[in-house]
Amino acid sequence: MGEQGVDETILEVQGVHTFIGQHHILQGISFDAKADAVTVLIGRNGAGKSTALKTVIGLLPSSKGKIIYKGKEIQKNRPFEIARMGIGFVPENMGIFSELTVEENMRVAMLVENEATARRLDRTLEMFADLKKFWKAKAGNLSGGQKQMLAIARAIVNDTSLLLIDEPSKGLAPIIVDAVIDAINRIKEHSVVVLVEQNFYMASSVGDYFFILDDGMVAHAGHVEALIQDEALQSKYLGISEAEE
Amino acid sequence: MAESILRRWNQELTIAGAIVLLLLPLIGIQPKTYLTLTIAGIAMGMLLFLVASGVSIIFGLMDVLNFAHGALFAWGAYVGFTVFKYLMKWVVADSVLQNLAVFFIAIVAAMVAVALLGVVLERVIVRRVYGNHLFQILITFGATIVLVELIRVFWGPNDETMTVPLTFAGNWDIMDVIVYRYRVICIVIGAMVYAVLQLILKKTKLGTIVRAGVEDRDMVQAMGHNIYLLFTGVFAVGAGLAALGGLAMSIFSLQVYPDMGGTYLLFAFIVVIIGGLGSVTGSLVGALIVGLTYNYVAYLVPWAAAGVNILIMIIILLIRPTGLFAAGK
Amino acid sequence: MAGPTPVQIFHEEEKKRQYRSGTFFLKVGLLLLFLLVPVLFPAFKTIDLAMQIVLFAVLVASFDILLGYTGILSFGHGMFFGIGAYCVAFLIGKYGMPSYTNLALGFLIAAIVSAALALLISFLTLRVKTIFFAMITLAIAELAIILATKLTGFTGGEDGISLNTPGIFAVSFNMGDFMGLEITGRVFTYYFILFSCIALFLIMLRFTRSPLGRVLQAIRDNVQRAEALGYNTFLYQSISITFGCIMAALIGGLYAMWVGYVNPESSLGVLTIMLDVLLMVIIGGMGTLYGGIIGAAFLKITQTFLPDLQHLAMDLFPHAQLLHNVLERWLLLFGILFILVVIFFPKGVIGSVNEYLLQRKMAKPTISPSSFTPTPPGNRP
Ligand SMILES: Nc1ncnc2c1ncn2[C@@H]1O[C@H](COP(=O)(O)OP(=O)(O)OP(=O)(O)O)[C@@H](O)[C@H]1O
Ligand SMILES: [Mg+2]
Repeated sequence: MGEQGVDETILEVQGVHTFIGQHHILQGISFDAKADAVTVLIGRNGAGKSTALKTVIGLLPSSKGKIIYKGKEIQKNRPFEIARMGIGFVPENMGIFSELTVEENMRVAMLVENEATARRLDRTLEMFADLKKFWKAKAGNLSGGQKQMLAIARAIVNDTSLLLIDEPSKGLAPIIVDAVIDAINRIKEHSVVVLVEQNFYMASSVGDYFFILDDGMVAHAGHVEALIQDEALQSKYLGISEAEE
Repeated sequence: MAESILRRWNQELTIAGAIVLLLLPLIGIQPKTYLTLTIAGIAMGMLLFLVASGVSIIFGLMDVLNFAHGALFAWGAYVGFTVFKYLMKWVVADSVLQNLAVFFIAIVAAMVAVALLGVVLERVIVRRVYGNHLFQILITFGATIVLVELIRVFWGPNDETMTVPLTFAGNWDIMDVIVYRYRVICIVIGAMVYAVLQLILKKTKLGTIVRAGVEDRDMVQAMGHNIYLLFTGVFAVGAGLAALGGLAMSIFSLQVYPDMGGTYLLFAFIVVIIGGLGSVTGSLVGALIVGLTYNYVAYLVPWAAAGVNILIMIIILLIRPTGLFAAGK
Repeated sequence: MAGPTPVQIFHEEEKKRQYRSGTFFLKVGLLLLFLLVPVLFPAFKTIDLAMQIVLFAVLVASFDILLGYTGILSFGHGMFFGIGAYCVAFLIGKYGMPSYTNLALGFLIAAIVSAALALLISFLTLRVKTIFFAMITLAIAELAIILATKLTGFTGGEDGISLNTPGIFAVSFNMGDFMGLEITGRVFTYYFILFSCIALFLIMLRFTRSPLGRVLQAIRDNVQRAEALGYNTFLYQSISITFGCIMAALIGGLYAMWVGYVNPESSLGVLTIMLDVLLMVIIGGMGTLYGGIIGAAFLKITQTFLPDLQHLAMDLFPHAQLLHNVLERWLLLFGILFILVVIFFPKGVIGSVNEYLLQRKMAKPTISPSSFTPTPPGNRP
């Protein structure tokens, strides 16, 4: 859908290195996210996809390289500062506060509670009807799919211009995956999305650009359409996830 | 589903256990004495709760085990002691109003002063060792040494006598059951603090964020909340509660001494291990268990009083290692 | 056999260098010093100081097995020390005649009791969180003091127990003059304890350098990874804790032999023994074993000469009230020192020196096989 637009880059990751303890995980990774598009990071398990997202949001400190968001270097900022610049984050484990109710989860997520937020909340709840149904229920009791919806809802209830989503299809039934695809397709109308995804079906349904990560570096990049054509590339890097499907 | 049934079952088990535990001492104690002891136990439990809840929330949110909490407790007692000393007229006045006034001033002074001390402690010392349990314990232990020594420098190394505000002293005789007035005050204070804490945690946005942080600090940060400010705030509140506990306890035991924090820190640890680290309700239940058993056993078998709580803690560790009310994680 | 591998060559080189290096001479010098103390400085005060340094250095080393090598903080180490002291005191003081058999039996019982208790505590706490170990050992240590104080009939209560050492260790024993040195029971006791401590220290050194010790350090550095590699971390940690606690108990027994007296405060105290041990291990350096020697020497010497220092200050600056107040509260200074060391020199004296030496060695390249990069001992908790 929306890959026409201006070719403006909202996020640019340039040669970033990240260590976890003594392990050198990201070894000079570079990728970007264009405005009005969904960028997908793919790669086998342990390639460093989650680490890349956590580095962007600031939960893991980078040791080298630059992260530029809307023309500003953010690699030295703390997570909450980065989040306040309009970056939403849905981690791999979803980060649901399971002892809190759905309502409380949403409230914690809302940075400012004004009319605009209320409108976004309405829009979000209309998108994820289940959340409305279980509004007062403990989030820990939600199903896996509902938790994923809640995690995404929390991220888009603020005025975000960039959304980082880590493997939203993980452990979900195909029908639910379709629902998540729908949701992301709607979200991309008002926010740039960087999506980590192993599920090629999902990646190809929502993605515009892709970056294939391998061993903490970018191995390939391009248009998702090109990737759909290129069976050799698919089987080299995505063989496993296709076999699973 | 199964989990929630199990949880409910656990809750019922806990309540049943608590009732049995509560009534068991009746075998060896006269009912009237029993009532007096029960009130004493609840009062002591409420004071322990004040100390333990701080340890518990600080650990839950910040993952910091604060060994300096006992020293903050002692500082609270000493600040209150100083207020009492300067306003002795009001302490010994036979006027409920003046007694209440001086009590209130002492509480505010102790809580504010020690909360500020807590802010300094968190900013200067604890902040450097986030994420490293070993160094946290070492450094807060070092802070304890310094804080206790500072008490000796400022107030002298000896025990001092604490005065009970006149109208708080003495007891009521309700149908032959002796009820000490100050114990009732302690119970009221503890219950109020619990209610306020619950209200803040459950009903305000800030409290909700704190509870969310207990479960997942990183996520709260990634949502744009300044977790460091939150840490400092919670540390200050914990310190303030310790100060309140210290002040109330010093009136209870009629004395202040520099090392007084050590014993109560230990009680607080036992309480949070029994109740579960990170849970305020757990701290309350744990504190009441410790307070009550201590008083019953101290009456029945005086020499065993100190050991029985450790025994309960060990039993809890064996059957439910995360404590009665495990929070989050 | 084929020629030596690069690693073997490296080890050989290392071994040769060991006997030439400064630290080797330092160790020999130190040993000689302690051996000669009774000859050179026969005054009771100096012998006692030397003995205290030796005992505490080894006690700190045993504590370091837990803290520096296993990553576990125990506030019960003083208690295990005290258990050892009490066991020996029971056997040759309160409940038995001073004989060699009873003395040996005392040490044996000390080892058994401390091993059992250490295993129990490990079992209770390590299943949950390793930080529980700190909380629970503090509670149990406090309980031990209360029991030792309250169970007057069994332990002698606050008054403690005096004990008489048997045979050649007895205070009354005197063999007369030998080259100007009066060979008394005290002298025998000194050497007996000195050699025992050296033996214990060597055993601990061997322990940390054994394969077991390496696994422990791997666990300390990264529990998850060690677990992923298939190590039963619980088992390894329990073994190490038990080993450290047995060592503490044996040293406690030796301590009782030296001071001839045990009571709850001086032998079990959390605020007396534990505080000293913690200060010593932090100042000397965690995860080094040798750090204990420096920490113990520093603290014991300062404590011994503090009164003199106070008098000196009094004479020199009779009006500097603040100085006197602060010197009077020397613990305050130690507390501040403790915090500063934890923040700025978390590796302590030995660790920092090691790091410095290593950096210098790195600066000028020496032969070292590419696959083998030596790491400083005890690089982090
Ligand atoms: N806390 C940690 N300590 C050590 N290594 C870690 C840690 N977290 C992640 N790693 C390592 O970092 C590498 C990258 O991890 P990351 O989670 O980014 O991979 P991923 O691409 O998201 O994989 P997956 O598809 O399985 O989610 C992996 O090899 C992993 O083992
Ligand atoms: Mg991942």
